[in-house]
Amino acid sequence: MAELMDYMEANRLLKRYGISAVESSYVKSPTDAISFFRYVKSPIVMKAISEKALHKSRSGLVMLNLDTAEKARRAYDELSKRAAKFKPYRILAQKMLPHDVEIIVGGREDPQFGKIMLLGLGGIYVEAFRDFAVRVCPITDFDAGDMIDQLRASHIIAKDEQSRSMLKGVLMRVSKMLYNNGSIGELDLNPMVMDGKRYVAVDIRVLK
Amino acid sequence: MMHPRSVAIIGASNTRGKVGHIILQNYLDAGFDGKLYPVNIKGDKQILGIKAYKSVLGIKANIDLAVIAIPAEGVPMAMEQCGKAGVKSTIVVSGGFSEVGATDLQDRLAAIAKKYNMPTLGPNCLGVMDPRSRSDTLFLPSFKLDKPRIGGVSFAAQSGAVGSTVLDLISNEGFGLARFISYGNAAVVDEVDILHYLANDKDTKVIVFYIEGVKRGREFIEMVKRTTRVKPVIVIKGGTTPAGATAAHSHTAALAGSNEAYSAVFRQFGVVQADDISDVLHYAKVLDTQPATTGNRVAIITNGGGTGVLATDALYRNGLVLPELSKESKETLKRMMPSTVNITLPLDLVGDADDKRFSDALGVVSADPNVDALMVIALFQTPGADSRVAETLIHYGTQSPKPLVVVSIGGSYTLAHKNMIESSGVPVYDSPGSAASSLAALIRYGQYRHRVGTL
Repeated sequence: MAELMDYMEANRLLKRYGISAVESSYVKSPTDAISFFRYVKSPIVMKAISEKALHKSRSGLVMLNLDTAEKARRAYDELSKRAAKFKPYRILAQKMLPHDVEIIVGGREDPQFGKIMLLGLGGIYVEAFRDFAVRVCPITDFDAGDMIDQLRASHIIAKDEQSRSMLKGVLMRVSKMLYNNGSIGELDLNPMVMDGKRYVAVDIRVLK
Repeated sequence: MMHPRSVAIIGASNTRGKVGHIILQNYLDAGFDGKLYPVNIKGDKQILGIKAYKSVLGIKANIDLAVIAIPAEGVPMAMEQCGKAGVKSTIVVSGGFSEVGATDLQDRLAAIAKKYNMPTLGPNCLGVMDPRSRSDTLFLPSFKLDKPRIGGVSFAAQSGAVGSTVLDLISNEGFGLARFISYGNAAVVDEVDILHYLANDKDTKVIVFYIEGVKRGREFIEMVKRTTRVKPVIVIKGGTTPAGATAAHSHTAALAGSNEAYSAVFRQFGVVQADDISDVLHYAKVLDTQPATTGNRVAIITNGGGTGVLATDALYRNGLVLPELSKESKETLKRMMPSTVNITLPLDLVGDADDKRFSDALGVVSADPNVDALMVIALFQTPGADSRVAETLIHYGTQSPKPLVVVSIGGSYTLAHKNMIESSGVPVYDSPGSAASSLAALIRYGQYRHRVGTL
């Protein structure tokens, strides 16, 4: 059975490779939730994380658009109730990012070729459109661009030269992280969304 | 193994239909001029008129290759004797090993090959065919299988069935064979070794590989990288494993399964991937005969308007573009062509075009700086098209520094001209779609070579 890496540990791993992730913190009480909300000064998302619940939104473990301290407090209580059957669990609070495009960047250990990586149209579109590109790690700068061009959605996920070169950078860094960390069995950064001018990971799943 | 001067056939037989009989007969039919040593445990004095031996140990001579075609359980002993007799290489045609679950027997075979440092192909394979040295271990009766002429395409296949059908088909196409290798279970010699051999083989210009799976993935990648730098590799991959067949915990693993990993390797390292046997043939003939290019601007010259339109669609479907002719080319063509010809691409020479008109058009268009490659549609049903048009196409298809492919669609009269053009080294396709996808494969490979700095 694959083991899920702790969310904040995974977050730190990404950071070491210069891959941005959305502002996140574990919250241990309603008061914690409120102070996180006050700290980010914008709407937040709260999620209950458990190895026993692989599909957080399907299990009702994600609460979006918490834009008042009161909503954050109530969300903490509600998630604690819902997650009771998935013990042990932890509650994660994240800054909510308004966005239109979601991508998936991921990887896995292939028994034949070693680390391979993937870029695709993300979020709810992953399964529906199956629009994705796969490469063997480590990738070159050309490969990164070629992965983007291979997607039917290339102009949606990289609208201009600037976002294209930013996304290429993300792909190169993910490739390096996968290649250097032999113990990563599977990786999902799904979705990554645009925050200002860069893609940041909103959900991170690392399986060892 | 590939061009032996002396061959022992273990399991050779006087009984018609036996594998060992067919192999020996094929060596005789092909006119192999090295030494042949039939070996049969029953102790026949002669097999097919050649002095026979009970064991390889009784042959007091150098043996380059032993072909083993006996029941599986006897193979380890035969291999052991080959080792002791100093046989240089073996091909185990016999089946009954890992493909039926007998992995122990296969491991024993591999261990013996290793002990004597004896390169071994198979088991469960057809072996090799080398038209230059006329060595042929295929146990397929020669009257049932067209054998290709000598050429530059080498073909390696895990599966004997795919191997022999492609072999039969390429004999009927306009290109010839350098080596054929059917390697079966790959107990000793595997994909990486074969690629290594073919990459360094000077007779091999194009490598075609049918694989179901590779054993040493990372080494395979390194060998692919080394090979595609210098010659094209066309792969047809069999054995679909649905993505996510193994329990996937992530979206990535659910989407990117084993097949996606293989496709990634091929795309990333310059391998031309074919989806079907017909694609293999289409791609091989253009890669074998036409010069490399990195540009994707393809001029279409036709003697049929509608086919030119279809061909234009096919170009764009394959990521190629139809360019605009230069001003100079247009002015020259305007002077040369009758008023019925509209001077724009696709250039429709109209139904009464003869060899002179084809030649004028080809001369101007192939020299146009806006043109990287040419597709010429020659419909031989038209009044002006005859063997002289075919000769014109051969001239430009072999002399022009830019790639040229021909599309000819039709019956027996067309077929006669197709054979004439193809045997001169210019690929002919029976649809604009296959011509366009083949040009696209040639161009993508050219771009890869340019990227890795070998073009």
